[in-house]
Amino acid sequence: MNNEPHDHEKCLKLFRKLSEYIDRELDDASCREVEHHICQCEPCQACLETLKKTIELCKNMDDQPVPAAFSSKLRGLIRSVT
Amino acid sequence: MIKNPVTRQIKDNDGELIRAINDGKIDKFQDLVKRYEHRLYNFGLKMCGNVQDAEDMVQDTFLNVFRYLKDFRYETKFKNWMYRIATSTCIKKRRKSKFAPDRELSLEEFLPKDESEFNTELPFWAAQPLDKLLNAELAGHLKNAVVDLPEKYRVVFVLRDIEGFSTVETAEILNLSAANIKVRLHRARLFLRDQLKEYFKDE
Ligand SMILES: [Zn+2]
Repeated sequence: MNNEPHDHEKCLKLFRKLSEYIDRELDDASCREVEHHICQCEPCQACLETLKKTIELCKNMDDQPVPAAFSSKLRGLIRSVT
Repeated sequence: MIKNPVTRQIKDNDGELIRAINDGKIDKFQDLVKRYEHRLYNFGLKMCGNVQDAEDMVQDTFLNVFRYLKDFRYETKFKNWMYRIATSTCIKKRRKSKFAPDRELSLEEFLPKDESEFNTELPFWAAQPLDKLLNAELAGHLKNAVVDLPEKYRVVFVLRDIEGFSTVETAEILNLSAANIKVRLHRARLFLRDQLKEYFKDE
């Protein structure tokens, strides 16, 4: 833990923008503001990293194969209407 | 009003196939099924949470695409148009089933209440490489967490983070504003992050 005075309001403001920051959807000024705060605030760094890891895990979940029986049923159905 | 057809052209990998089908090569519709059944099925699994509903959704979506393809105006990507149909098919399906009413996720429930709740230390799982972390058990846990998301957040999360649509595309598919998409996506991600924290809390 560091002992520097910690501006909790800044953290809360940043918390709302984290997804936009990760998605690079913030304008340059807001982006710089986020980066400026984050590089000196460990709790917000932890917040950002856990959120990034969450997204990364979700994006890498395995797909399921289409059940073969359903796939052939679907093709049959499409053949009957086309 | 005179519209310049050139400016309305959009790049669409499916454009050629769709035009062929609409020009009468109806048997090519099977190519469309082949192209999208896998993606739509997985979209259905995440949206509906079970195989039977996912299969029904895929079938109904293709039938609706077939029925309305003549009305497709080439002003948007075909894929986005198809997902619009898929999404409303999912939502209709859930309305019919006995799911609890959708609840709102407020940002406040994810906010650290005061500084003491702010975790300074990075939890170990956030620092682990993906391949060390993602096993079948965690994937199962995550899938359940996605299904537990209230629908209006889940649909945004799945379109954005799983299917890879942009904010603007997702807004178009769901007929919502981009700002609304961003708000819902952020809350959905925070919800999932809380589920992960819970999963890892004893480690
Ligand atoms: Zn902070």
